[in-house]
Amino acid sequence: MKNPVQRILVYIDGSENSITAAQYAMCLSKAMAADLTALYVVNTKALNDLVRTRIFLQAEEEEYRMDLESDADRYLKHVTDLAAAKGIRIYTEKRTGSVHGEIRKAMEDTDADLLVIGAIAKIRSRRDEFFDETERAMRMVDKPVLMVKNEKRVLELYDLL
Amino acid sequence: MPLIDLIDEDVIKTPLTSRLKYDVIMELLDVLKQAGKIGDIDQAAKAVFAREELGSTGLEGGIAVPHAKTTTVRDLTIAIGIAPEGIDFDALDGKISKLFFLMLAPPDQTGPHIEALSEIAKITQSSDFVERLQHAESPDEVLNLFRAP
Repeated sequence: MKNPVQRILVYIDGSENSITAAQYAMCLSKAMAADLTALYVVNTKALNDLVRTRIFLQAEEEEYRMDLESDADRYLKHVTDLAAAKGIRIYTEKRTGSVHGEIRKAMEDTDADLLVIGAIAKIRSRRDEFFDETERAMRMVDKPVLMVKNEKRVLELYDLL
Repeated sequence: MPLIDLIDEDVIKTPLTSRLKYDVIMELLDVLKQAGKIGDIDQAAKAVFAREELGSTGLEGGIAVPHAKTTTVRDLTIAIGIAPEGIDFDALDGKISKLFFLMLAPPDQTGPHIEALSEIAKITQSSDFVERLQHAESPDEVLNLFRAP
């Protein structure tokens, strides 16, 4: 039987949990000799919603979109540096749109076998279930999803690479 | 970050005592100051009023979302205020505003800032939830509404 995981997609949103997920994905990539892609989604869907509901002015939308684009570049560079430090090759992809929708599309486009995500916040109300983009992605993709927990253990594994 | 993770009883005020737009913003900033959430209240006020000058954040449906980026907060911060009798906040529909979400974010936390504002945007689409918030009589009641299944 060939390795069931050949291409891994890890979703990065800039949170500590997502960086931990990337480090664990690096461990998996090396152990399984699997290709690894890090994805960041600039949430233009949310920006558009804020303009539509008039919380944002058009000028604000543009300013915040540029900020998010910069964040995307910064965090993707960060995970690239983390991978390079361990001699691991990582592909990066920046997309725009709705987060859960773009994660699903990226899984298809990269033909990934596994989606790796950071631990999601504890659900404290029914609304959280609807609003958490990572959780929505987890429910929507039709491939195995791995949620990474225990930052301390992951850091130990990453350090051992 | 879910909105519920940003709020506690210390940052909710109901009813607001102010009757003017300027005073409402200052009252909510004072709530954040008292809760230890902001350092320089004048700097925060300057940022919020600069945004209001570009266009009122008074939306339709009796909701207002004054917001700004400012270095006077270290983390994304929100105050909720309720004025059951309503206040003229220069809302888009010309009607009075009763429910106020004042949000401040440090410049380097754009992602969480957008997420939190986005959640408020979704809340504004639920007239029933907004109605219940506008009639909440205590911070505890507001928190319970956010926690409710």
